[in-house]
Amino acid sequence: MTPDFVAQILAYGIIMGALYGLASVGFTLVFGVMRVLNVAHGAFMMIGGYLSFWGFTLYHIDPFVSLLLVGPSLFLIGLIFYIVQVFPVIKFTDDHDKINTSLLISFGLSVVLENVALLLWTGDIRSITGTYTENVFEIFKIRIPLVGIVGIGLAVLFVFALYLFLIKTRFGKSIRATAADWKAASLMGINTNRVYLISFALGVALAGIAGTLICVIHSIDPYIGLFWTLKGMIIITVAGVGNIRGVLACGLLLGIVESLSVFIAGASYREVAGLIILVIVLMVKPKGLFTTKVRGV
Amino acid sequence: MLEINRIDVYYGDLQAIWDVSLSIPEGEMVTLIGANGAGKSTVLKTIVGWLRPARGTIRFDGLRLDNQPTWKVVEKGICLVPEGRGLFHGMTVLENLEMGAFIPRARKAESEAIKKIFEVFPILKGRRNQPAETLSGGEQQMLAIGRGLMSQPRLMLLDEVSLGLAPLITENIFEVIKQINKSGVTVCFVEQNAVLALELASLAYVFEGGRIVKQGEAKALRKDKGIQDAYLGTE
Amino acid sequence: MEKDWRGWLMIAALLVLLFLLPLAVKSDYYINLLFLLLFNAALAQSWNILGGYTGQISIGHSAFFGAGAFATRLLWVNGVPLLLSLIIGGIIAVILASMIGFPALRLRGPSFAIGTLALAEALHLTIRNILPGVAFLPGKYIATYTLIPRYYLALTLVGVTSIVTYIVMNSKMGLAIEAIRNDQDAAEASGVNLFKYKVLSLTLSALFMGLAGGVFAYYHPSYYIAYPFGIGWSFEPLVMTIIGGAGTLIGPIIGATFFVGLREVLVIRLGEMHIILFGIIFVLVVIFLPGGIVEGIEKISRHLFRGGQKQCTNERRA
Repeated sequence: MTPDFVAQILAYGIIMGALYGLASVGFTLVFGVMRVLNVAHGAFMMIGGYLSFWGFTLYHIDPFVSLLLVGPSLFLIGLIFYIVQVFPVIKFTDDHDKINTSLLISFGLSVVLENVALLLWTGDIRSITGTYTENVFEIFKIRIPLVGIVGIGLAVLFVFALYLFLIKTRFGKSIRATAADWKAASLMGINTNRVYLISFALGVALAGIAGTLICVIHSIDPYIGLFWTLKGMIIITVAGVGNIRGVLACGLLLGIVESLSVFIAGASYREVAGLIILVIVLMVKPKGLFTTKVRGV
Repeated sequence: MLEINRIDVYYGDLQAIWDVSLSIPEGEMVTLIGANGAGKSTVLKTIVGWLRPARGTIRFDGLRLDNQPTWKVVEKGICLVPEGRGLFHGMTVLENLEMGAFIPRARKAESEAIKKIFEVFPILKGRRNQPAETLSGGEQQMLAIGRGLMSQPRLMLLDEVSLGLAPLITENIFEVIKQINKSGVTVCFVEQNAVLALELASLAYVFEGGRIVKQGEAKALRKDKGIQDAYLGTE
Repeated sequence: MEKDWRGWLMIAALLVLLFLLPLAVKSDYYINLLFLLLFNAALAQSWNILGGYTGQISIGHSAFFGAGAFATRLLWVNGVPLLLSLIIGGIIAVILASMIGFPALRLRGPSFAIGTLALAEALHLTIRNILPGVAFLPGKYIATYTLIPRYYLALTLVGVTSIVTYIVMNSKMGLAIEAIRNDQDAAEASGVNLFKYKVLSLTLSALFMGLAGGVFAYYHPSYYIAYPFGIGWSFEPLVMTIIGGAGTLIGPIIGATFFVGLREVLVIRLGEMHIILFGIIFVLVVIFLPGGIVEGIEKISRHLFRGGQKQCTNERRA
């Protein structure tokens, strides 16, 4: 229970928190733009992780390099799944129906994906360990793995890249407009169908990238889908819908809180902490802790 | 300029418009009047592509419009200022105006257009960095109209501009709309306030129960006994 | 009205048949299969009360199932008569429902689904930590273990659940519930006390789920104590009900039959991969046939018997 120990746990919490944030950014993008709850988000993360695992074990592609492959591949997969998963739902004008149905469809698809992964890669836990994954830095007696630092860096990078994309670029603005009011957006000459398609594919691509990082820093198996989807749900509930930077902040917060809960209650209750927070936030402030003004990003 | 030929429009299984034909000649100021739920707004929504007619056609300068998605309709030069204004609440006045100039054709003229709109609606200039939802009803309506103009439309559709606004403000806004029409933009507006509508428009179509029951020059309709009794109160 | 009558008669006939079945069928394999079918039907029917009829999609029913199983097992292996154990199990589930439900029911749609999921998972993880062991059946219970009583218990449960569902959904409460499913806000504006009816619906749903948990505890010789709290027990009733037809009386039963039957047939050929097939079917149903198999049957009979004409009157769908 020394301060070093606490600091160590916190460091680990921050690393996981950064991953949580990155993992949830895609989830919140999709939900914010089209009110589609992509329960299969975690499953797409799992696929991304497995793809980079394949790249590493079969072709010795460095996992961080494989991001260049995983990103676009998952983008493509996202395009395909958009047609299956989102298209039938978009025609519903009632938000409630939309959310319910998309919930169910994505849940069904996640089960399919999970079992396909089981088929292809077996249920063994996989992780990428390479020449530098064992490197650890020691700063002030805290041991931080190199990949952890890179992970945090990449997470922050991607989140801010997305943020800038949404704020500065024309297409990004059209995404925000569509998220705010799709009918008004269509009146601006925005091709809302294309916005939905790209947003969804982007969300899935981000999931895949997060999955790769998780495979390196942590580990993956076919069942992590639900775990990460739950994390995503917790974070977007706390951060509020469509709040990109807030998602990163909440991810970090969650990581830290979980670590502290390990400190207080023991490692086995780590997950429970997050879930309890989720429920409390849902009941106290269903719109999210960080949405004082609905700025859209 | 805009020809609607015998359209039927449904909301799901419910028919809202029966066999409606109307034409909006270039440069005119046309109004659609009638009671609540008579189908006037539905016509605008169909023109712009939010709804598709089950039967009939809509043509703009001879080209089919009813099978086009909304964004293509906007690109062709039609804009709609919708009922409820449809402003982007997360964005400022300026950002809303910028969104209005989204299509490539309008983007080139964006800064010029913004300057012009601030001239016409000086209040918007003063509030340009405020979030859209903090504006008053009248100001929001001005912003919605300004935003519509940003797309350099040839035809501007307006849906229930007077809704929720004080009479004085409504008059001011319609003055501006008249100016817009004079500057060359064809206008078609839906309006519950029949007195005001018939004063401003050159042509009018009267809707009842999803059909057109009377049409013609606004001047003539003002004097029409039936219209007077139904919509204009005591003359 | 006429359709109600015929459906009801069919069910009654089926019940009688099922009751007499063990006299004719002696094979343990088939009795077991039928048990699973009836058991899953009870599960689906319980979820259906809240998820189908009331339209509040919950992914947290495993909490009630687990609680019922836990309480029943604990009491029963310690000598408490089975029936009492079951009833207490059900009551425990209801108590849990009131603890989870009262706060959770203030949430709408996806928040409710996520909230119930989170709470159920939290409970699951907690139990797994506190009681990581296995629930064993004492020697003398194993010695006297026969399938037949389990079979009848499952049959009784699904029967009671269905009958209660029918009665409730055809009462004034059922009208309120249907209004809530249709459009919560409109219902509220018409004077329906949303909270009261959602709570009642949840309580009923939890009760039967808890009883089903108790049946599970009675049926399974040994299992990980945390197992009945697992997320699968939230998913499966949901999937079965939706495939069968949410919000109808026979929907869950058809769904369970489909599920158990298909699983039996496929497990031999496809092994674990039959889940993929189910997932695909589920997605297809949600997209193309949201009313489930019941809607499919409706459509087919409409084309065969009424030349494609929709019924004008709003049939009560119990």
